[in-house]
Amino acid sequence: MERPHGGNGLSGGDGGEFQSPALERLVRSLSRLPGLGRKSATRVALHLLTGGGAEAHADELTAALGDARRQVRTCSQCGSITEPDPCRICTSERRDRSQLCVVASPVDVLPMEKAGFFRGRYFVLGGLLSPLDGVRAGDLPFERLLDRLQDGPVTELIIALDASVEGETTALYIQRLLSGNPLQLTRLATGIPVGGALAYTDEVTLQRAFQFRRAF
Amino acid sequence: MRILSATLTNFRNLAETTLDFSPHVNLLLGRNGEGKTNLLEALNWFALGRSHRGAKADELIAFGQDALHVALSVEEDSGAIVACEFGLDRSGGRRLRLDGEPLKGKADLIGRLVTVVFNPDSIGLVRGAPQQRRQFVDQGMAELDAAYLAHLGACQRVLKQKTGLLHDLRRGFGGGGRGREELTAWNRELAYHAAGVCRGRAAYAQLLEPHLRAGHEAMAGPVGTVDFDYRPRLESVMKHLVSGGGKLPPEDELAGAIFAEFDYITDSEMRRGRPLSGPQFDDFGITLEGVDLRTYGSQGQTRTAAIAMILGRSDVLFGQRRMRPVLFFDDIFSELDRARTRRLQEMSSRDHQVFIASARPDDITGWRPEGLRAWRVESGRFAAVEGDAITAGD
Repeated sequence: MERPHGGNGLSGGDGGEFQSPALERLVRSLSRLPGLGRKSATRVALHLLTGGGAEAHADELTAALGDARRQVRTCSQCGSITEPDPCRICTSERRDRSQLCVVASPVDVLPMEKAGFFRGRYFVLGGLLSPLDGVRAGDLPFERLLDRLQDGPVTELIIALDASVEGETTALYIQRLLSGNPLQLTRLATGIPVGGALAYTDEVTLQRAFQFRRAF
Repeated sequence: MRILSATLTNFRNLAETTLDFSPHVNLLLGRNGEGKTNLLEALNWFALGRSHRGAKADELIAFGQDALHVALSVEEDSGAIVACEFGLDRSGGRRLRLDGEPLKGKADLIGRLVTVVFNPDSIGLVRGAPQQRRQFVDQGMAELDAAYLAHLGACQRVLKQKTGLLHDLRRGFGGGGRGREELTAWNRELAYHAAGVCRGRAAYAQLLEPHLRAGHEAMAGPVGTVDFDYRPRLESVMKHLVSGGGKLPPEDELAGAIFAEFDYITDSEMRRGRPLSGPQFDDFGITLEGVDLRTYGSQGQTRTAAIAMILGRSDVLFGQRRMRPVLFFDDIFSELDRARTRRLQEMSSRDHQVFIASARPDDITGWRPEGLRAWRVESGRFAAVEGDAITAGD
């Protein structure tokens, strides 16, 4: 079957692979990145090799990647991404030690910190239970969470996980893990977004908002 | 609702064309293989977000072309006219637009254009596997309640996760002895969504039954009472259904009972390595005077019951949401006697816009409903025909 090819001259033309093994390796490596297919990976690779100011950009990228690999680590206490270990939030004297907020990913910490209303500390799970993706209870740091609650001053554990079935199930697992523990377990509310119009709220969110309505 | 017009580009063998339809009855005549069903497929695609024949984009796009495009002008029951468009290309791209605004996913499509297809396979609603009846009820309920669709989707997803976990456990990936606790968490989440699904199915069976009975009697005469009842696989649900006279308790209460049942069978599930009960095994019973039509119905009885189910679904939708689906009859009259054919034609065209594809012009002999439009279809081309030419044959 006839297939159109890009006219960059680097393509072998028959099997869809580049004639340069080094370029092919780069494209394959890039296409393993989240959100990049082979097409986008090829664009990125060609940009880094042949685009305007390509050499400087490629060097800068290499250096940045090396520095980040050396300096960035996960906090041994909360699992966030940090340079100093433990991270600044964990060591801060101004943070409330009685509240601990469980989130799935380090990215989830960012909007909470940007808003600045939460003065407690975090615990990052690094994922959600999902057997289909090979994530089982043993792959998430639940033991470390229990240790953390055992000897700490935490009185409230706030579960802030996705409202997906994986997030819900992980929350239910934590709830069971903590049964018999006197600390207060809470979850984020679901409902109508602030500034959102009622008429454009999806039916499921609306139903939840109704279900969890409160005295006013 | 009504499809006022359609503009087709590169859809299967159909010539590029714009067709203006009758708001009442549209008749497509032609031999098999000329393109009648292809047109129904194009009109129906937007309602489902897929081909009702299960065809992939590659099959739908005309030979030698890269992309197809279909634009429909749809009059909603409120009187509003919306432009529905979809485009598919060979690299898997799909674009859906409503009044020019892109639609994100399938969930946005639900209720925009509601259609019901009736073809020779529809007899499977009564005779076929339970899955066909579940799909019928699930689709009917999803049209009424978006939360039902969310529960159904979540249920299917949790079930996949649970199946994966049971499979893991059976192969010895215990996960540090915490496998049982993990299963408990998945079962609790599953019970919550299963409760929503079971409640929806029970409610739908109750909504449908009176309409199904009325439609059946109108078609077949006073031959006896048809019952349509929900037959859940979960014993906890069945028990509540019996004690509640067909109604189920509130979600939380039912979820608690379902969870207890899941918990009770967990050891067997872990041994067998797969889920052993749940809404994925539900069925619905269709009986005439107590006789199960699924197994004992004659050809004529099952066909009449299937038609009554489909017309009943339309009546439920109208009763609950004041919406009427567009009906597609694809080559079904050849299998009905003349009296039933005429009754079905008259009943359906009274309230609906109807598209009838037929290879036999005498299917409609003597029937001239208001606003009838007819086309002869040959090699994907449409030629309008009028008056006596409709039944002149070829």
